[in-house]
Amino acid sequence: LPAGLSQWFPALEVLDVSGTGLTEMGTELLSLPCLHTLLAKNNRLGGPGSLPKGLGQAPLARSLRVLNLSGNRFSEVPPVLLQLRGLRSLSLGGNRLQGIPPDIQELHSLEFLYLGGNFITAIPPELAKLPSLRYLVLCDNKIQSIPPQLAQLHSLRSLSLHNNLLTYLPREILNLVHLDELSLRGNPLVVRFVRDLTYNPPSLQELAGRTVKTRNIPYTPSDLPESLVRYLSLASNCPNPKCGGVYFDSCVRQIKFVDFCGKYRLPLMHYLCSPECSSPFSSASQSSTSQSESDSEDEASVAAHRMQKVLLG
Amino acid sequence: MEQPVQTETWKARSLEELIRILHQIFAEDKVSVEEVQTLMESYESNPEEWLQYAKFDQYRYTRNLVDNGNGKFNLMILCWGEGHGSSIHDHTDSHCFMKILQGNLKETLFEWPEKKGNGEMTKKSERVLRENQCAYINDSIGLHRVENISHTEPAVSLHLYSPPFNSCNTFDQRTGHKHKVTMTFYSQFGERTVC
Repeated sequence: LPAGLSQWFPALEVLDVSGTGLTEMGTELLSLPCLHTLLAKNNRLGGPGSLPKGLGQAPLARSLRVLNLSGNRFSEVPPVLLQLRGLRSLSLGGNRLQGIPPDIQELHSLEFLYLGGNFITAIPPELAKLPSLRYLVLCDNKIQSIPPQLAQLHSLRSLSLHNNLLTYLPREILNLVHLDELSLRGNPLVVRFVRDLTYNPPSLQELAGRTVKTRNIPYTPSDLPESLVRYLSLASNCPNPKCGGVYFDSCVRQIKFVDFCGKYRLPLMHYLCSPECSSPFSSASQSSTSQSESDSEDEASVAAHRMQKVLLG
Repeated sequence: MEQPVQTETWKARSLEELIRILHQIFAEDKVSVEEVQTLMESYESNPEEWLQYAKFDQYRYTRNLVDNGNGKFNLMILCWGEGHGSSIHDHTDSHCFMKILQGNLKETLFEWPEKKGNGEMTKKSERVLRENQCAYINDSIGLHRVENISHTEPAVSLHLYSPPFNSCNTFDQRTGHKHKVTMTFYSQFGERTVC
């Protein structure tokens, strides 16, 4: 950036230095108090000095709303970027990112996050701590699974996941109430019913823990070693509404297919407390090979009401 | 549209002129696909002329009506943000011309699925269309998906559909199942449509 930029244009609000071959943006940025939009796409940024060190303390940290660094060479999200507290829109599309830092949650004003076209393999659950996130783009990456916590993104309107390595989705995704758009094409999604019966029988500790919880056996912290009190607090409820049981570490992974709006069947991953929980409306698990499980109808009607458009393509 | 009646080579020097010549061509009983495609390609995109129609949406691509061709055709501008794409769709027995005004669009052609399709749809071909190129498709050629695969540049395209239609089928690539959808306009004649 040219020296003296802030002296020449102290009231600068929008700066577009895209396609200029920049390798670093230096301290000139720090003295631009009114800057709310910085576009620096298609440059050669990505090395250690790409963004100036004092960024977190500069007026920019509170004033900057839009930052576009797409088409550069970042292999990680520069930590200093996470200090831009006022940031509403961030694009790092078409870079070389291998992952997303958990500290992304620091950008608590973020509404728009574009990370398409990188080499991201996993999504940190901390991403779900962004309360205002409306548009999340993760297409064209190498993502293998979605953390169920992502369903906590209550403001999410649009989620782009196409061209990744997903085989299923967490069932919690049905909780994204405001989601209008969801793209899933180009993922190796499981199409046929697959039952993974890898079931490790529960330990004695697990069995005892389940009994304590399901029978509501009272206990106080003075009754048990601290480690067991903590263990008991980690019980997960079996999602089978007819079961009402809990599980700790021992559970069955199962893929259920849910119709969205009667159009597409999506494979959703369930965790059940035992194989017997797979068909809640039938007494035995014999009829579980049918694809029209009644419990998925409940989920389907909820999903149809909430999710208006699924761009499976 | 049957056999070519005239093989005149038009040159549209502005968007306004393009529209005028299109009205002229479509006033005839017979219209040639080649003629329209050549005409559309001849127009050199000038953003000043179409910027008023190019309204982008953050979440998905938009359809912005430019001219309704006296009922003979619909001319519209589509705006594609980074990563925006369409589903696989047909064209309800109409002719579809697509010219790139800005950026690039990838077009993937698919075979029609079997009657009771229950397998992955077959890709026929794919190509990236560059600025000012004009593609053509109709149902006898096949189905397609159009997408802006750029993560850094938005794209703008000019579409002509004749006869006009407001519903089509979208297809699930994994199974070939189709679903009828109604299309809406994000804006008409430069004015945002409120729905």
